[in-house]
Amino acid sequence: MPGSRVSREFDAPFTPSANYGRREAVKLMSASLMLMGLGGCGRGESDEHAVPYVDMPEGAVPGVPRAYATAVPLSGYAQPVVGTTIDGRPIRLDGNATHPASNGGIDALTQAAVLQLYDPDRSQAILNLGRESSDAQFQAALHDAMRGHAGPTGRGLRLLTGATTSPTLARQWALLRDRFPEARWHLHEPAVPLLDTAVAQAAFGTPAELIHHLDRAHAVVCIEADPLGPGPSQVYCAAAWAALRRQLRTGRSSPTLVVAERTPSLTGAQAEHRLVASSADVPALLHDLARRLGLGGAAQTASLSPAATAWADAAFRVLSDAGPSGLLMVGPQLPADLQAVGLAINAQIGSLGHTVVAAEPIDLRPRADGNLEKLVEAALGGEVGLLVMLDCNPVYSGPADLPVPDALSRIPFRVHAGLHADETAAQSHWHLPLAHPLESWSDGRAVDGSAVVIQPLIRPLHGGRTMHEVIALLTEETGAPRDLVRTTWMERLSNDEARWRQVLQDGCVPGTAAPTIAFQMAKLQALPASFAGAPAVRTEAGFTALFRPDSTLWDGRFANVTWLQELPKPLTTLTWDNIIAIAPATAKRLGLARGQIIRLEGENRTLEGPIWPLAGQCADVLTLFFGYGRTRGGAVGSDIGYSAFALQPRGGQWERQGIRLSALDRQASLAPMQLSDRTEDSDILRTVTPERPEVENRAAKASFYSDWSYPHDAWAMVIDSDLCIGCRACMTACQAENNIPVVGKEMVALGRIMHWLRVDRYYEGGDDNPVTHFQPVPCMHCEKAPCEVGCPVNATVHDPDGLNAMIYNRCVGTRTCSSYCPYKVRRFNYFTYTVDRESPLAAQYNPNVTVRERGVMEKCTYCVQRITAARIASEKAGRPIADGEVVTACQAACPTQAIIFGNLKDADSAVSRAKRDERNYTLLADLDTRPRTTYLARIRSSKPPQS
Amino acid sequence: MTGETAALGARYSHASGLDPAVTERSVTAQIANIALHPTIRRRWCLSMMGAGLLTFVLMVSIGWLFVAGIGIWHLQIPVTWGLAISNYVWWIGMGHAGTLISALLLIMNKGWRNSLNRFAEAMTVFAVLNASIYPILHLGRPSFFYYLIPYPGTLGVWPQFRSPLMWDVFAVGSYLIVSILFWYIGLVPDLAVLRDRAHGRFAQVAYGLLSLGWRGAARHWIRWRIAYWTVAGLAVPLVVSVHSGVSMLFAVGLEPGWHSTLLPPFFVFGAVFEGFAVVTLIALSLRRAFGLQDLVTARHMELLARLVLATGLATIYGYLFEAFGAWYSGQPYERALAVYRLLGPYSWAYWATLACNALSLQLLWSARLRRNLWVLGAVAALVTVGMWCERFMIVIPSLAHDFLPSSWRSYAPSVWEWMTFAGTIGLFLLLFLLFVRFLPVISMFEVKEILHAEREPRAVA
Repeated sequence: MPGSRVSREFDAPFTPSANYGRREAVKLMSASLMLMGLGGCGRGESDEHAVPYVDMPEGAVPGVPRAYATAVPLSGYAQPVVGTTIDGRPIRLDGNATHPASNGGIDALTQAAVLQLYDPDRSQAILNLGRESSDAQFQAALHDAMRGHAGPTGRGLRLLTGATTSPTLARQWALLRDRFPEARWHLHEPAVPLLDTAVAQAAFGTPAELIHHLDRAHAVVCIEADPLGPGPSQVYCAAAWAALRRQLRTGRSSPTLVVAERTPSLTGAQAEHRLVASSADVPALLHDLARRLGLGGAAQTASLSPAATAWADAAFRVLSDAGPSGLLMVGPQLPADLQAVGLAINAQIGSLGHTVVAAEPIDLRPRADGNLEKLVEAALGGEVGLLVMLDCNPVYSGPADLPVPDALSRIPFRVHAGLHADETAAQSHWHLPLAHPLESWSDGRAVDGSAVVIQPLIRPLHGGRTMHEVIALLTEETGAPRDLVRTTWMERLSNDEARWRQVLQDGCVPGTAAPTIAFQMAKLQALPASFAGAPAVRTEAGFTALFRPDSTLWDGRFANVTWLQELPKPLTTLTWDNIIAIAPATAKRLGLARGQIIRLEGENRTLEGPIWPLAGQCADVLTLFFGYGRTRGGAVGSDIGYSAFALQPRGGQWERQGIRLSALDRQASLAPMQLSDRTEDSDILRTVTPERPEVENRAAKASFYSDWSYPHDAWAMVIDSDLCIGCRACMTACQAENNIPVVGKEMVALGRIMHWLRVDRYYEGGDDNPVTHFQPVPCMHCEKAPCEVGCPVNATVHDPDGLNAMIYNRCVGTRTCSSYCPYKVRRFNYFTYTVDRESPLAAQYNPNVTVRERGVMEKCTYCVQRITAARIASEKAGRPIADGEVVTACQAACPTQAIIFGNLKDADSAVSRAKRDERNYTLLADLDTRPRTTYLARIRSSKPPQS
Repeated sequence: MTGETAALGARYSHASGLDPAVTERSVTAQIANIALHPTIRRRWCLSMMGAGLLTFVLMVSIGWLFVAGIGIWHLQIPVTWGLAISNYVWWIGMGHAGTLISALLLIMNKGWRNSLNRFAEAMTVFAVLNASIYPILHLGRPSFFYYLIPYPGTLGVWPQFRSPLMWDVFAVGSYLIVSILFWYIGLVPDLAVLRDRAHGRFAQVAYGLLSLGWRGAARHWIRWRIAYWTVAGLAVPLVVSVHSGVSMLFAVGLEPGWHSTLLPPFFVFGAVFEGFAVVTLIALSLRRAFGLQDLVTARHMELLARLVLATGLATIYGYLFEAFGAWYSGQPYERALAVYRLLGPYSWAYWATLACNALSLQLLWSARLRRNLWVLGAVAALVTVGMWCERFMIVIPSLAHDFLPSSWRSYAPSVWEWMTFAGTIGLFLLLFLLFVRFLPVISMFEVKEILHAEREPRAVA
């Protein structure tokens, strides 16, 4: 029986409430006092038998980390991870390199799942109409409702879930359908669009999903597509992109990335040739490409601007040159007719089946009975008697044009199961706390289709059912949470226990990649024609609003995850807010300053939010970001920003035209990490051409102090600017590893953000379409460190390996070190920023890293705790530390493996080789601080960037 | 101009600058009565209330700072040093004129300094006291301030002697000790006079204890003179070394605008300049409040005005060469910072510095304006403000606008920082008011000594 430990003891739900009387309060206090020792009686680890990933020590050795392979779903797709637990507490996630869809990298959203697990605002009790209730009462009510509202055939029964790829959920749904043939399943996914079903039907005769293989491409053309941007496929695509970029160094012909987009993206930031397309350009460019590539049925294109024509020339040239090694990616948010044209082009150049593969859908959306819109229609029509909403929040994330609350109110029995008692829970009769993915047995499939069995790293902290247990209530399936999943897989693994164990250990089920779908060329070539009648993108007066998931809060599900709130968004470096992006020139024309509140109006819908002139944005396009404007998002996530869903059209379309903009006389206070965007003619960013990859380096000057000698190791880092895509996964990984506090919006606005590693973003060229550069800046660990000279109390010293070490308990907080640091990588605890000892968040802390108190300076340590662990291991084994044995947290997380770390004393180490690279350069070399951290220059084609 | 100087010289004694009407008896009576029979009790009490209120503000802001943490100040990354450090530099700079007047001019046998040294030294002591609070307030963990002091702890960890902060601890520490010693040694004979003239029992005992049993015996005078001149000898190098040390706090860092060999002399000149301006203001106030025009004469004011002008010109030279150096270095960061100072968000500090220190100073070229005490007072007040702006301009822009543009961020002090600053001014005033109320504001015996030497040269010889 689920329920937290205390509620099991007392057979009553335990949630602190303000409504206790005097007697109850005293009772509770004495009970708490008596039960204080209870916490020590149980172990936090899961009841069931989970298989350790790498090594299982005999017995549990306190303090020895254990790693388990599992996965965290993001918009349904499983992100394969290895979770590290110490004494039963999950403290960190890494990518699972054993899984075919992962190279060991991890994105920020996935990493933050470990903090979400400990979210103090997670729902902890079953609620009936907002009041605490018990499981028994819920089960009784559900039993009655199933008879009364669902009916014997399940006519009134509806299930609404977020996007999912879970085979167990599919199996359970089939069971449910067997019992209740008329039950219906709806899927609501606000952030990730799929290949339009109509297009897939026309092209393949079956629903399909497109899997892009960037690493096989010689030329990539993106129209509004953002493979490197945040989302479920970021790590997968970024790893492939890095593989592609690495070819540059082997002298192969340079792979070209050509991007046309209305709003800047991380992919656009990497483009050799980027066009700021207008709304009219997008269909015109696609049709123009189709026509040039000899596809019939392409619509006649409107006349293109000179810049667009030049871009189309370039795109045509690279695609036709590359042939089957070309890849055209059309933004999945674009309308079906454009998707069709894109598919036809890929077929035409022969890349379909090579660089882009049509596969059987991984996402279960095509197998469901409809989306939220259909559910709302049915509910308004009075067809729904019992609705179970599972891990989704349609009241918040439903488009405003869809009367979700109204529809819900017509449903007589509504159950919501989720991590939080959110907006939808407030509109439901019953709310059930859901177990976090890291507490759950479940399964899912990664973006390539390969399946992962999700095993828990910890027993549910607040009780709570897994998703499958909730469905099991309806199917009346019995069995422990693990058995619900195991049943699914034992069928497929031919009841082989050893294979099941192997699957758990590896974190992936071999041979489950999505099967490809055969296609007929003729059908595809006819595609554009068959969609020719579809309404092209209308061009209405006013602004076009684009809707995009937020790069850190996604669709709002991470609103209460402080790491993500404070993670600077890649292009704006903004924290704690969403903004409405506008072209700088347009903002100037309208006299709008950054942060000014504007009102957007379109067809009776209005929305107010702060404006942000975003370089590289199309002149008449505004970009709105989801994730904010939550009303019940938790203590941290509520009442900040605006909700972009408030303007979203009925069908969840990704843009809305004819938006009127009016400026309001109010100013929002925004907290970006970075205030200056330009490098001001300094040489801090170096760019080389493929033909001449050497950078000029200055020789070191004479120094007053003698050189250090390093008897053992000399740790160093090289960051490859050419591979950094600016995703900032490294920042979150560093935060998780090094117990880096979150300080809140006011503190960020004051300039007190604590990240040890920051990713700077610079623009080069005009604001209309600049080249975007990213520069990760950790501590430089200088040989001639100015901070070491400045500190009066020996609190920052040079260690025998050449690390610039911080001794926190010696630090008195003069901040001289930071004043003297030319890189300004040091961070100061102006207040007590650590989480309260009593907070569940404290359980996430890495016990191998000191938690810093008020008044102490801190900074990047090159993950000295990992170096020490490796040294202990090597000394026990009587061998030197091998190259690659020490992996810093940022390095481990980087999806493109742009960070290289190792020992300079070993001339063959990866880092030594990187230091010898002709692109190696030092940041602010003329100061002669002789940093250990250096950079490899970015490679860009010699032709001047388009302005 | 020579004529005018001659005119002053004719009216006042050349060596002492005293009014011919002053006699040895009148000096004692006038100065001792200020302490023993105050005539301006009401005004003094009102001023005391104001100063006390401000001191209370200081106590509150320090108390809250220790409770809530350094975060109540608006410091951040990159600007980790703000108002506190610029105030520290300003306060400690102020003290320099006092030491220069008392010790350097003593050794150079400039008799006219005898009318100025007592209150100038008091100013030094109080300013250095104020300055020495800041480094402790400024710490992230003030309870561990003693880590900065070299002591043989069981951990065997010593301070880091390469750090200019360490040098500052020594510089300020020795400066505080030496200036208090010098001031107190100089006070002893005068305290004995007050002891002898006091009527109340409490005053007699208090002054008696403080005067260390001074009887004016020849042996006392010999010992005293050895001690006084020895400490003066120690104090003289401090005039140059303390502020050079303070400037190293900046010059040793790599930040643009700081990393310059110009800084030590620039800081010292600025400090003495500021100090003379404040001495001028104090002299003007005391003259007016206690009718000391005979002792602190127009000639003294003239000399102070000239000193302000001379040190000011040296400081202006510093401004010129700071700008020239930034340009001549050819370093983009130095040049960018120079432009930032001129045109950035802190340009008010730069232009205020120039207006107050360079522009207003030019008035003092004219003897007529210089001798107008209102003009002199206004210029001195402007220079005091201007030097504050200069310290701000040196400390903050370099941090706010250094090397990597991604870190650039400007800083605005919080209300607590302003309150602390106002509070230190209050503490300074409070201490000074106590000083004028209970101690001889002008060195009676030294004035009498120079008077004696002037009028009866043979007696001294």
